[in-house]
Amino acid sequence: MWISMEQYEESGMKNTVTITLNGFQEEVAQGSTVSSLIKYFQELDKDLIVEHNGRFVYPGEYPRTVVDDGDRLEFINPNFGG
Amino acid sequence: MQDQRDQLRYQRQMGLPEIGEQGQKRLARSRVFVGGLGGLGSVITTYLCAAGVGSLRIADRDRVEISNLNRQILHWTKDVGRDKTVSAREKLAALNPDAEIETHHLEIGPENAAELVQGCQVIVDGTDNLQTRRVLNRTSLDMDLPFVHGGINGFNGMISTFVPGRSPCFECLFSEFGSPSSPPPVLGSVAGVVGSLQSLEVIKCLLGLMDGLLCGRLLFMQGQTMAFREISLEKNPDCPECRGR
Ligand SMILES: [Zn+2]
Repeated sequence: MWISMEQYEESGMKNTVTITLNGFQEEVAQGSTVSSLIKYFQELDKDLIVEHNGRFVYPGEYPRTVVDDGDRLEFINPNFGG
Repeated sequence: MQDQRDQLRYQRQMGLPEIGEQGQKRLARSRVFVGGLGGLGSVITTYLCAAGVGSLRIADRDRVEISNLNRQILHWTKDVGRDKTVSAREKLAALNPDAEIETHHLEIGPENAAELVQGCQVIVDGTDNLQTRRVLNRTSLDMDLPFVHGGINGFNGMISTFVPGRSPCFECLFSEFGSPSSPPPVLGSVAGVVGSLQSLEVIKCLLGLMDGLLCGRLLFMQGQTMAFREISLEKNPDCPECRGR
């Protein structure tokens, strides 16, 4: 059954996905990448470790790593003291 | 070396089938390089020495300061002002007179790292900065030796064992990171946990228990919630040091 975009939005369904970010549920735009989420959540610290579903994400992969519904994302500050 | 006194000293660990008399001999024949004698290095060297690792080569450039004592348990109030290498050698020799403790009071750099690590089977990270870790990682790749990394910050810590060819290297993960402007606040107990886990990784390396190493995995400890999390690591083809080999 096809519905129009208006009907779709009126029905309360939105183009968002729910992810768990640093342990908290967040609703973010569908198709969000790690890069866009770092901007969106204003993570100003450049030196950030990103974990996506238990996997270490390298900075080079940020623009092409898309989050999906139910994904777990962690922004982690590295520990370099001794 | 396995005289009666050794049998007694190491009795409780030699009872482990993974160690036994052969494993204990293996530890006694081993030499480990530990870079840094701070919070992590204090714990790492203490446990390796107590476990009967035959030879420890240790490098540190610092003197003991009073502000070190909340976490650097190898150094005591009476040691303030002394070289950390001197303080460490004294304690470790008293703990286990059979251990060979070779100390170098210097700054680890690209010019001396290969020589410092020569003859060792494992490189251990007891440092408190990125630059020295980068040097030790390069040396680990050049000399094909495992590099047991640990780091701490406040209530938190992280650990991973980098094995050349088998796992990513330190720079795969952190080549784009900059050094923090000031040393982080640190709780001694956290150094205790992370340093202790590092010493366990070293002992496993020396015993050849390679399958259970924290290799290709980064373990995160969050002390405030007492949560331990593991992140799986893949090789990074963009790594300037190992190129994902
Ligand atoms: Zn690498």
